Amino acid sequence: MDKAYSRGRILIMLGAILALIVVDHLNSPTFAFNSGQGNVQTALTQRDESACAPCGAPCPSTRN
Amino acid sequence: MSESAVLQAGMKPSAWIVDRFVVLTALAGLGVLGGLIWLETAPFMVALFAIGTVLGMALYHGAFGFTAGWRNLVLKKRGAGMRAQLMLFALSSLIMVPMLYSGQAGLVGAVAPVGTSLVVGSFMFGIGMQLGGGCGSGTLFTVGAGNIRMVVTLVFFIAGAVLGSVHLPWWLDQPGFDPVPLVNTFGVSGAIIVQLLALGLIARWVNRVERKAHGTIERNELLWKGQEHGVLRTLISGRWPFTWAILILAAGNALTLGIGGSPWSVTFAFNVWGAKALEAVGVNMSQFEFWQWDYPAMALKDSLLTNIPSVMNFGLLLGAMLAAGLANRFNEASRNRPQRRPLLAAVVGGLLLGYGARLGFGCNIGALFSGISSASLHAWIWFACAFAGSFVGIRLRPWFRLPD
Repeated sequence: MDKAYSRGRILIMLGAILALIVVDHLNSPTFAFNSGQGNVQTALTQRDESACAPCGAPCPSTRN
Repeated sequence: MSESAVLQAGMKPSAWIVDRFVVLTALAGLGVLGGLIWLETAPFMVALFAIGTVLGMALYHGAFGFTAGWRNLVLKKRGAGMRAQLMLFALSSLIMVPMLYSGQAGLVGAVAPVGTSLVVGSFMFGIGMQLGGGCGSGTLFTVGAGNIRMVVTLVFFIAGAVLGSVHLPWWLDQPGFDPVPLVNTFGVSGAIIVQLLALGLIARWVNRVERKAHGTIERNELLWKGQEHGVLRTLISGRWPFTWAILILAAGNALTLGIGGSPWSVTFAFNVWGAKALEAVGVNMSQFEFWQWDYPAMALKDSLLTNIPSVMNFGLLLGAMLAAGLANRFNEASRNRPQRRPLLAAVVGGLLLGYGARLGFGCNIGALFSGISSASLHAWIWFACAFAGSFVGIRLRPWFRLPD
């Protein structure tokens, strides 16, 4: 049976998504923190401080 | 969801063919991304990535789509898909409500305000489900399985979500009130009992609809064994009976809560992806109130690899791809080039899904499944309004030349 897709397109698509994720990460506070830069607040340190549901509703602390 | 493949008498079981390219590519993707998450974030994020992967496989192999389940009830008067969803909510309620209110620090439920924003958003989301062809999780797992029309839905889902995030503060200023956890009124046991009663009443109504139309009720949601193959082959290449998917989805959401601190959520990640894309082309998203709130602001600023919904979505996409490869059905739905009106439906549906999800505080997963699992009133209002919207969307489908 013929394949319903092109292998090349799938690899290019997944490679592009991976590249975007890596570029995003290299420019992030977490990468700076991991590289030894102190005093950087990251999503993981924020999580340690206060839990907040990621449903998009405003956190109690941020909106009256 | 309705197509229960029953082996006809005298029919030979088909040969077991696996799409090795898709399976190996998905496994390589899981390995690379899992390794990056392991190296750069924290071990619990790898666990959440793995949970996302299993959930993606369960959604694909179980064909667990909320959209088709609702449509089958309205059009074909068949309720197995709907009852499977109700069973899922009941099971997760029993597990997660006590977890959330056990007093363990660091756990927070999916509770959200009740008001204009929720009603309008969930109604829009319901229409979008039927036009776009899936809910939040449904869109993701079909994209992972290579469905090209659903890629269009996802792109516009993201666009709608970003627009919704810009408008959300205005909607929150319209009439409404604070989140209502049912536990505050009924206590933990009482809230669970009230929810189980409500789910039972809905199941009874679904049964009545089906019995009135067909005289009998098809109990596909109670099957424990695959209809085509043995247990091992069914487990690896599908199709799973609903009961397997229900157990995996309920366990996955509970584990997400236990490990990540909050229940499973899908669509917040779409906001972050869209906002990051706009920032990349020079738009300052921090000028908008939503992106100044603590959690969204940090999600926008930091790596996607530290954002729990994003990491789980990546796992879900690759898990669905892996499952589709194991079933030798990757991209099967896109053999024919999409026509203009179904593509237009994907655009309109995607925008409604995204905008609606933001205003309604999530999709079938974040608002409905996780909301009921958190015993939050907003989830029930979301359910009613999204079902009403879905009814309108079903009536609009013929104009967009979408099949029933």
